[in-house]
Amino acid sequence: MINLQPYADPKYFVLLLVALLPLMIGLYYGHRLRIYETIVSAAFITLMFTGAKWQQGVALIAYVVYQLLLVAGYARYRQTKNTTPVFVSVVALSILPLVIVKVTPALGPNQSLLGFLGISYLTFKAVQVLMELRDGTIKQLSLGMFLRFMLFMPVISSGPIDRYRRFAQDYEQVPTQSDYVAMLERAVWYLFLGFFYKFILGYVFGTLWLPRLAQAAMVHRGWLDLSPALGLYMYDYAMYLFFDFAGYSLFAVALSLVMGINTPMNFNRPFQAHNIKDFWNRWHMTLSFWFRDFIFMRVTFFIMKHKLIKNRIRISQVAYLINFLVMGFWHGVTWYYIVYGLFHAGAIIINDYWLRFKKKHRKQLPHNRWTEALAIFITFNVVCFSFLIFSGFLDTLWFK
Amino acid sequence: MKKRLWQIFGPVVLAALIVLGLLLAPLPNQKLSMQRLHADAVSLSPTVLGGQRIKHQALAKNYVPFYGSSELARMDPFHPSVLAAKYHRAYQPLLLGDPGTQSLVHFVDEQTMMPQLHGKRAVFIVSMQWFTKQGQIPAAFDQYYSPLQLATWLLKAGRGEADRYAARRLLAMGAPAKSIVMRDALYRIAAGQRLTKPQRVGLQAELQALKNEDNLFSTLSISPRWHDIERGMRRLPATDDPAALSTLATQIGKARTTSNNLGIDNDFFNKRLKGKRLKQLAGSQRGFDYRVSPEYGDFQLLLQQFAKANMNVQFIIPPINQKWARYTGLSMPEYEEAVGKLKYQLAEQGFDKVLDLSQKGSQPYFMQDTIHLGWQGWLAVDHVVKPFLTTPQLAPHYQLNDYFYTKAWAQTKTVG
Repeated sequence: MINLQPYADPKYFVLLLVALLPLMIGLYYGHRLRIYETIVSAAFITLMFTGAKWQQGVALIAYVVYQLLLVAGYARYRQTKNTTPVFVSVVALSILPLVIVKVTPALGPNQSLLGFLGISYLTFKAVQVLMELRDGTIKQLSLGMFLRFMLFMPVISSGPIDRYRRFAQDYEQVPTQSDYVAMLERAVWYLFLGFFYKFILGYVFGTLWLPRLAQAAMVHRGWLDLSPALGLYMYDYAMYLFFDFAGYSLFAVALSLVMGINTPMNFNRPFQAHNIKDFWNRWHMTLSFWFRDFIFMRVTFFIMKHKLIKNRIRISQVAYLINFLVMGFWHGVTWYYIVYGLFHAGAIIINDYWLRFKKKHRKQLPHNRWTEALAIFITFNVVCFSFLIFSGFLDTLWFK
Repeated sequence: MKKRLWQIFGPVVLAALIVLGLLLAPLPNQKLSMQRLHADAVSLSPTVLGGQRIKHQALAKNYVPFYGSSELARMDPFHPSVLAAKYHRAYQPLLLGDPGTQSLVHFVDEQTMMPQLHGKRAVFIVSMQWFTKQGQIPAAFDQYYSPLQLATWLLKAGRGEADRYAARRLLAMGAPAKSIVMRDALYRIAAGQRLTKPQRVGLQAELQALKNEDNLFSTLSISPRWHDIERGMRRLPATDDPAALSTLATQIGKARTTSNNLGIDNDFFNKRLKGKRLKQLAGSQRGFDYRVSPEYGDFQLLLQQFAKANMNVQFIIPPINQKWARYTGLSMPEYEEAVGKLKYQLAEQGFDKVLDLSQKGSQPYFMQDTIHLGWQGWLAVDHVVKPFLTTPQLAPHYQLNDYFYTKAWAQTKTVG
């Protein structure tokens, strides 16, 4: 049986674009061929889970049915009532499969049977719909649209994480001809930029250099097993991580545009960030905005509403800590992901102190292009170091 | 609006056409420099092993294929490539193999060479360590098999037992499954059917693209191994004198095995064995049995291919470092039976040039480490290989027997 992993090789792009051609012609003339789009999407999603991966396919179907029941049930309930315990339990049930999938490998040698490629991203989407139903910002939920939103093929495996209302609006409104052509233009640019990122730069950093640097760092060990090679590994890994994932995200955005959907961008020159806060507004943006809106803000409001902490600064510090700790656990239940989360929480808290200090002493502190360059340099190195933690290589170096 | 569409998609279409053109047009096969060939012949790289261009040009000169696996990388001063280069022998080894390459990889990857090898000579170092219960490991096969070579084979495969056996084994390796065209073709060959017309057309297009890739990219990197050869050449005496070489081999071997009493090269011992690792390996080869293995059938594929090309092949069976075998608990009687079985398979079919070194594992400085030839071992190889490749040889007469593809043979434990 054929198996096609999304964006894995040139063949995939050719096959997908040929399959999407009728849809493109339809959109060009102002029609969205819904049935055809559904068939093509279903076919390509099926081909992701054929052969040895069939169990993941079954898990995906079961997962989507489960989330559909939860969301439909809650939407119905929410039309007449609104209590916190019900809301909390529904959200808990919604993230339960993801929790099981993330915790299982930490407990034993096996992966959970519930897992499949993309479960995190689907969970983010489902939880987001539940939250907005609770807030009342989603009033009318169409189950057909919810399914389309959850299973939107270009982004199913790794995001970017779109928002339901934005997606539904795009979907209902077919772009005008000149708008659609402009979207295609962006799509072509993103596609080729993605090729350059993922298949050339990502390949050089990830496939050609990374294994050699890893080997060198394993052989030449100094104090605490540290070495110059480890330093090079750190920067190389950061580059690999960015170009691989940014390339992937560009593909997903490009294919969304081809299908007439303006999926939001995931990266905005993250290594030019001036501080850590700025970095999280540029790196894996749809994820960090999701965490901002549904973890950070919620925690902040919760603390304020229940008057748990009086000091506003302390509130945001606690919220950051919880926010990044959850993000760490989401990446996986290992010490290095959790330390990665805590490291970023620490960095952003220190950064906040600095920003307040700067505000107070604005007159005395210089601000010019050199201080900006210094800020970028420091931020870049802090981020690269955090990625070294994230890479898990220290775990191999120290404990394996 | 049409104009804008052209502005957007015109460059894409043009780029696609250029790439297709570059891959499908028959490109000229540019000549490689002698320096380049020196380096590539000793590189042990998968690009050389699976490619076409470099091997083709080497064989057009005085290169002779030396098939093998990890021992080829033991490039001490007595390595065949060093001796041949130093003493300007009439032949130069084209090293084919690396750790993990076994019969099936060699069978696939020599396809494009076969027309050139017709009636020629070759040296084949066959390791008993290939003949495990599992045989060729699929992951290693995936690393070394070349789609270019596989497509070449598929286009000439017939309906005989050998080709059907090969197709079954290749399907079991899983790697060719990445190409739908090749996998479907393998199924047909395995079932004893001829390829369909569309399959042939598809394979030919794929083959052309792969050949062009080989032409365009096979020379992008250069191997550093030629430096090892040059370093070895500097240590050798000016004249090709067996007695002087033997004295030097003992001298170098002695100096390089001072860190342990297993007769293992210091570097190898310090990097791979010293300390905890060595203790873990005590008794680790107890229960290793090289007598039952699918490798015997895979090896038969090679024999069949050599016979078909009327090649004269010198086989070499290297020993195991006896101290190491004793330390790890390898059963010597079973090992000897496996060697006997392999020799039977060769002799029965008329392959009579076999240098069996399996009893020499206890000779000093014969092995460079655990299972790999070194110093004196390489010289023992040279005593046979040099006359084989430089003096006239009788034409071989082969009588192939398809029985050696059967499961019954794979599971036979003793012969005679």
